[in-house]
Amino acid sequence: MTKPIESMMVYVDGSEGSILAARFAVVLASRFGAELHALSVLNTRALSDLVQSHIFLESEREEYRRELADDGSRYLNHAVEMGRRKGVTVVGQSASGSVAAAIKEKVAELRIDLLVMGPPPRIRSRRDALYDEAEMAMRTVDCSVLIARDEERIEELYEELF
Amino acid sequence: MALIELIEEQAVKVPLESFDKEGVIRELVDVLASTGKVSDVETLYKAVRLRETLGSTGLADGIAVPHGKTNAVRDLALAIGIAPAGIDFEAADGKPSKLFFLMAAPPDKAGPHIEALAEIARLSRSKALCSALVSAQNAADVVALLRGD
Repeated sequence: MTKPIESMMVYVDGSEGSILAARFAVVLASRFGAELHALSVLNTRALSDLVQSHIFLESEREEYRRELADDGSRYLNHAVEMGRRKGVTVVGQSASGSVAAAIKEKVAELRIDLLVMGPPPRIRSRRDALYDEAEMAMRTVDCSVLIARDEERIEELYEELF
Repeated sequence: MALIELIEEQAVKVPLESFDKEGVIRELVDVLASTGKVSDVETLYKAVRLRETLGSTGLADGIAVPHGKTNAVRDLALAIGIAPAGIDFEAADGKPSKLFFLMAAPPDKAGPHIEALAEIARLSRSKALCSALVSAQNAADVVALLRGD
């Protein structure tokens, strides 16, 4: 019988929502015996937009690119450690470009069948909803998407793991 | 981080009272300080000024996005000012700037800082929205326009 979920991926960006999503992904991967990947995206698209629009200088782009890369490594290490504590192997994945496109590409490349993400912000304008990269990814990926909510319950489930 | 999460009426000034670049930066830093989000006003002012010395953040079409990275704020903070008559901000197109977004970011918030600035870059491309913002009569109007109400 085919497992309902063979391969999962969680998108991590350092936000509280993405940490919650990573926790839930570890729980699900453990229960389903699924492979789990964590993806961090270096948003070079946004950096290019800022240089093009003259908000950033070239030197700022480089400075922020380094900082974003360091942050991304930290987020991935955190997700890997979160899995390790519960006996779940989390494979760190890095990508760069636009967040939505990078998520979509990784989902296809790794044949992911469940993408786990944190909840979108509750306060937002219609414009934000239209341009939110993570939300765009949710709408366009070719796999099922799960939004992690209910922090208390997810925390309980995570702690229940051996 | 959604830009709207950073916007609050108290941090919006319509119209700005200053007539020059130094004055606008000072005024917007003070506006931000009035929200209680700035621990050291002078440090923030210097950070924004330092960035301006490297190159003006006055974009085309009357928009300026002065910004600075500093420990004077704990979280990302944004002040918005409108100067309908326009102020010389040494903009790329030489035109006076009317719509100002001053952003302050702590050093450890690179991701949200980029996202928020990118969002400002995006909305600055909407001529209709920018025109409406410049015509706004008060802070509440500015917030409503940015929320898309």
